[in-house]
Amino acid sequence: MTRRRAELAGAGLALLLAWLVLFPILVVARDAADGTALRAFVDRPGEWAALWASVWISLVSVALAAAIGVPLAFLFEWFDFPGRKTLGSLVALPVVLPPLVGVIAFLFLYGESGFIARAVQALFGLREAPWRLQGPAAILLVHAYSMYVYFYLFTRAGLAKLDVSMLEAAQALGAGRWATIRRVVLPLVRPSLVGAAILTFMTALGSFSAPYIFGGGFRVMTTQIVATKLNGDLPLAMVETLALAVVAVAGLLVLRRTEGDDILVALGKGIAPRPRPISSPGVRLLATVAGWGFAVLLLLPHLTLALVSLVPYGAWTTEILPPVLNFENYRRLFSEAERLRPLVNSLWMSAVSTAVAVVLALAAGWLVVRGRVALRRAIEGLLALPWALPGTVFAIALAMTFSVNAPPLRWVLVGTVAILPLAYLVRALPLTGRALLAGYRQLDPALEEAAASLGAGRWRTLWRVTLPQLRPGLAAGASLAFVAALGDIVASIVLYTYETRPISIEILSSLRLSETGVAAAFGVVLMVVSALVLGIGARR
Amino acid sequence: MSAFLEVQQIKKQWAHTVTVGPITVDIARGEIIALLGPSGSGKTTMLRLLAGFETPDGGRIVVEGEDVTTVPPARRRFGMVFQHYALFPHLDVGENVAFGLRGQVDAARKAADALRLVDLAGFERRKVQELSGGQQQRVALARALAPEPRVLLLDEPLSNLDPALRERTRRELRQLIKRVGITTVFVTHEQEEAFDLGDRVAVLNAGHLEQAGAPDELYERPATLFVATFVGRANVFRGASARALGGGEGIVVVRPERLRFAGAGLPGVVRERRYTGAAAFFLVESVAGERFEVLAEPDAAKVGDRVFVEAQRVIRFAENGR
Repeated sequence: MTRRRAELAGAGLALLLAWLVLFPILVVARDAADGTALRAFVDRPGEWAALWASVWISLVSVALAAAIGVPLAFLFEWFDFPGRKTLGSLVALPVVLPPLVGVIAFLFLYGESGFIARAVQALFGLREAPWRLQGPAAILLVHAYSMYVYFYLFTRAGLAKLDVSMLEAAQALGAGRWATIRRVVLPLVRPSLVGAAILTFMTALGSFSAPYIFGGGFRVMTTQIVATKLNGDLPLAMVETLALAVVAVAGLLVLRRTEGDDILVALGKGIAPRPRPISSPGVRLLATVAGWGFAVLLLLPHLTLALVSLVPYGAWTTEILPPVLNFENYRRLFSEAERLRPLVNSLWMSAVSTAVAVVLALAAGWLVVRGRVALRRAIEGLLALPWALPGTVFAIALAMTFSVNAPPLRWVLVGTVAILPLAYLVRALPLTGRALLAGYRQLDPALEEAAASLGAGRWRTLWRVTLPQLRPGLAAGASLAFVAALGDIVASIVLYTYETRPISIEILSSLRLSETGVAAAFGVVLMVVSALVLGIGARR
Repeated sequence: MSAFLEVQQIKKQWAHTVTVGPITVDIARGEIIALLGPSGSGKTTMLRLLAGFETPDGGRIVVEGEDVTTVPPARRRFGMVFQHYALFPHLDVGENVAFGLRGQVDAARKAADALRLVDLAGFERRKVQELSGGQQQRVALARALAPEPRVLLLDEPLSNLDPALRERTRRELRQLIKRVGITTVFVTHEQEEAFDLGDRVAVLNAGHLEQAGAPDELYERPATLFVATFVGRANVFRGASARALGGGEGIVVVRPERLRFAGAGLPGVVRERRYTGAAAFFLVESVAGERFEVLAEPDAAKVGDRVFVEAQRVIRFAENGR
């Protein structure tokens, strides 16, 4: 491709991305500059409370996730004990639970009429449920469960890159075990830890399902925004959205500053320390029992969901365990067209948004890394932008931008089949974009040159050489994007129409009708599809 | 000599300050030419210009009378072996070698022939990752040769092999290229490799062609001070020392084996002796503080001896090194 055509294509892509991810935010920012709404926001203590709640819930989530994930990573990376391999992969299981599904699983398990509460109630002969799963504690419980995985995976990856000779050097210089960890290991894995902290913070800040289901009177900004929007106070919703966006960006910037030098990591390319068998039999037994116990604890939500999905409607009242189990819920789900529709909707909308996100990311990868077009930094920034802002922000921004007819930039898309795939696409762009940019950067340009020197044209080179090389990153990015779209709730709740209602909306309405079995069955389907897709995506 | 591959005034501007060229070289059919130079000298740029991966800012590249300057790599029919081989990791050996033979009816046979040529017959279904470095290099060579290119380009062909293997591979590579009879241009930063493998050597420095010629011509009659010092060991003398060795005004270069201890000449003290078996290098310091090497019989002098040195053959340059 000639320079000129590459630059034109780069400019075109940058414009398209700007329209998709930047323009809606600008619309919100303009609409938020409304005196009355601003004053309302500033004057109401509830707003500030919600904003502050978002921040401290996110910070505590980071602390809790780190407290669980980091020690686990050390345990699995450095010590050998029976079942280490199996457990090591089980520990990542919360990843296959989409946020809403995880939340309802917790509801069925630890909620006031969940298994644990019923068991405790029966055990002590209590007249009422021993607790209510509500408020900040409940939200933090769900966050800790679902987000420690980031710390666990990131820290393990960081530890695996460590050079064993550095640890040996520290010991030869007289540092004990703890001094080695504190003075050598932790500084070296700091980029991984900060990466996990950023991911956890952003996820917790954008978390919607847990506060929505468990919040009760306790509001965080994401639920506050949606409530305001559903109340019809649009100007105030704009101001709230902007406030959340500002907090997100500020948090990201502060955390980024602590990231440190990448050079530290680049130096350590040696052999990672081998897992050491635990020598003391007592400690080994303890580690094994604790490990398996922990795995069961992690699997309980999945099992609960499976169990509840087998309980037919109205068959379970006061017993500790459901008396009747059958496949009635699944039969209804797959035989009634109206019940199957949300599943079909979710699948096609996720597939379309993922496909478009992959194509855009491929083009971006080529233009940024190979074409080195003038706007490459803009393209990269635009691709990453949706990641830096909570889903609620984009949901509201898209709802506002595409409910007005002002071509060529604004059309009425809200209420049409196009709006949800578009919203999913925006959320998918950072995932596919990051995967394919990284893939392109790791791709040896000599491979493409070799193909050219052997007579292959541009398309044949792309098909026979470039795409096969990019496949692992492409599969990983696409599967993450697909699963994120499939499990999305916040964009869905703001933008769905009855015809295009996705699976998460159906789960919520089933819950509202007390059809817990159907909700659980939907949850199981979502969980299985997510696990399959992620499994395929992770295959080398 | 009628030129098969002509490089005419070729030029590439990288930044305002970094320019490669203009360079002009004629290469005969079947000739092997080495592009030799330090890193940053522009030798890799030259190779990539020949392959078509870079477009020149001026000049022409002509093969058999056809101007290929703007022909894209895919249609240029120049075979290339990359420094790290660039074998396609998702394809096996046979598929790699047959990659450039697409659509040819006898692709499988040609690929097998190419593999036999590099002594890897029967390796078709092997994975490229399973091969040793030397075998990978031969697969890369077979892949480049299979489509019967007009010119073969090699980027640091031996740099990825361990030293023990290098010398043998060098000889085998030369025999193979001569057997095929293909016109070849290769890049190297090692003088020994350039001399061993190339019929002629083009020495590049800071984007300019300093000299192109047969190895002994470069060694005995270097055109510039840079060539004299870059190709082989060289002692550089200026001023009084240069005059004492029989030079005139300007700079004098003498190879260590062209210096010998004598009864008169340039006086100095032996500072070090490095024994190599058949001979020894003596590091001598002149009265003016210049240090230079003399290659002589191992017992010709001892450390600390006061000696006189005379030159049997000197190479003279003006003050500007030309």
